[in-house]
Amino acid sequence: MKIGIPGALLYYYYGPYWVHLFEELGIEVITTQKTDKKTIDRGIGVSVPEICVPIKIYNGHVLRLVDQGVDYVFVPRMVSVEKGKFFCPKFMGLPDMIEHGIPAVRSKLLTLDIQSSTEDITSPKLIYPIAGKLGVSRSEIRRASHSAGRRWKKFRNLCLEGKTIKEAWAELDGAGSPLERSHNSLKIGLLGYVYDVYDEFISMDVTARLRQLGAAVTTFEMIPPKLLKKHVKKMKKSLFWTFSEKLLGAAYSMFREGSVDGVIHITAFGCGPDAFLGKLLEIESEDSGIPFMTVRIDEHTGENHLQTRVEAFVDMLGRKFGKTGERQ
Amino acid sequence: MKYSFPYLGNVMAYRKLLEMLGHDVVVPPRPTQKTIDLGTKHSPEFACFPYKVLMGNYIEACEKGAEIIVSSGGHGPCRAGFYGELHERTLHQIGYDVEVIIFDSVKRDLKGDISKFMKIKGKNSLAKVIGVARIILTMLRDLDQFDKEIHRIMPYEKVTGTSQKIFERISGEYEKCWTLDEVRKAHSLARDMIASIDVHDVAEEEKIRIGVVGEIFVVIESSINLEIENTLCNLGCEAERSQYVGEWVDHNFFGRGREKEIMKMGSDYIKIIIGGHAKQNVGHIVDYSKRGFDGVVHLMPFACLPELVSQSVIPRISELNGIPVLTLAIDEQTGKANSLTRIEAFVDLIRNSKRKRTSANK
Repeated sequence: MKIGIPGALLYYYYGPYWVHLFEELGIEVITTQKTDKKTIDRGIGVSVPEICVPIKIYNGHVLRLVDQGVDYVFVPRMVSVEKGKFFCPKFMGLPDMIEHGIPAVRSKLLTLDIQSSTEDITSPKLIYPIAGKLGVSRSEIRRASHSAGRRWKKFRNLCLEGKTIKEAWAELDGAGSPLERSHNSLKIGLLGYVYDVYDEFISMDVTARLRQLGAAVTTFEMIPPKLLKKHVKKMKKSLFWTFSEKLLGAAYSMFREGSVDGVIHITAFGCGPDAFLGKLLEIESEDSGIPFMTVRIDEHTGENHLQTRVEAFVDMLGRKFGKTGERQ
Repeated sequence: MKYSFPYLGNVMAYRKLLEMLGHDVVVPPRPTQKTIDLGTKHSPEFACFPYKVLMGNYIEACEKGAEIIVSSGGHGPCRAGFYGELHERTLHQIGYDVEVIIFDSVKRDLKGDISKFMKIKGKNSLAKVIGVARIILTMLRDLDQFDKEIHRIMPYEKVTGTSQKIFERISGEYEKCWTLDEVRKAHSLARDMIASIDVHDVAEEEKIRIGVVGEIFVVIESSINLEIENTLCNLGCEAERSQYVGEWVDHNFFGRGREKEIMKMGSDYIKIIIGGHAKQNVGHIVDYSKRGFDGVVHLMPFACLPELVSQSVIPRISELNGIPVLTLAIDEQTGKANSLTRIEAFVDLIRNSKRKRTSANK
């Protein structure tokens, strides 16, 4: 049996668990790598025009998997990974959109509901509903999810040590190398969902670009959960989307504790939660005086646009703080 | 303290509710292009359209002296649950000293809700509040019912505009009511008024019925939805909405109405509640097709998250249930002519195919 996992959306966060889980169950896993122009064009073809870019990309990846002759495409329904919090409605309706919107996938859809009280979704109970389809027993799932869960926790710990998701994942696969950071460099807070920041089509590998310019990058997944909650806890009503709230928490800790020199928010065209998150960030940045820039990216954005804006932002910060990047 | 509220549907009832409790009330003006422009200016670019209209609406209310704005909210995952927070912050940023009171899920913050309720209750006794609420609720239910009836008659009226005028007069009659007895009298008066409307006799197979589904705000508020029901009626169709304020109250406070049944019909297409009214809307489309409606107009604000999901599954619902659906995205740049042309074409197609079907059956 071959299962395809689209390399988009929360694959960047939960992929290390999902891939390993199915492999431990003795199932061949095929993942799609790297979004390219063709992937997104195919995604656009089967999506409603106004939907956000990440969903269009996801649909493109799903179609690529179908081409590769997988038996099932794994499309989890992300409902909640925190008590009282949800995902964007588009995540919650994703399997429905794919089932009814993309006929080629209908018979191959493998879906289950992810509803958990913490972001640790490695409980075997969540996987039981598809045991029959996979042809495995519950005890096999228990064993596999235990092993895959350990791997995912290791992955998260690597992130908390200050590694980006890509670095952490590479190290998990045994290819990592320790990071070298100069203490003189600018510190940039990079805010964005994992599927925006780590999708090379959307962000055009902005982390690498920033590092080339001599800046040290901090993302939300490097910040300890307690610190992420510290400031949002005090709000009368906080954002009710888990990952948006994480970004808000990260931003508040950056702005209020002055732990970075500047903040860049990467957002995809048509992202609903980001419209509100962005407004909160704007208000906060005004109060704190820490420079803030939003880069909104859609399927037509050119690479030069991003490069120019990021360079200008880093140059400006360098001049403000008198720190120089390694490039000069 | 001067109270205000969002302009949504029959605002006369909200005004009466607050006035009967002894508050000073500022009625916000009916949304116009100016309201929308004002709201757009002070909203994030990608905020949903209702957010922008409400923003403009609140600013206009503040200009007229509102000090407290009362509205309903939610607790996600639809963005409407965060409207109040952001509206209040933005109003403060612009420089209005105003408090936004949002009633949302009781489970989240019971203590907060009680204190909000006590504020609105003021010095009135609980019995009085309940009495007032009963009067207002009866009014809302009655007006919903007449609203539906009027839009069943309007396409066949002999003198164009009569039914609209009658509905305005009915609304005026209700405005004069202060007791439950008066409401009952207004009800029978309204019945007579509706019965007095002169209509053409139209054969059953000639009648076209269109349902209107979509995001609650753009479905209910006629000033921003091209007056969709009147527009459809003027094209000779009966029109019915999926959302009415009274039904909303009945469902959310008393668990009454058909909403459960509707949601069940929707669960074939959207399995769980994903926020907003996406699941209800797909259920309503199935329901309209079962009730023999000829078509559905689906209204969604530009980039509305739940409605994007329903929009994605609609082609299949339409295919499986054999009911045509026209999706119209509404935002601050919606041109009237463009949408009108599309609605006209939609109705023409329905009419032609219906005629073909009936003549084939003869």
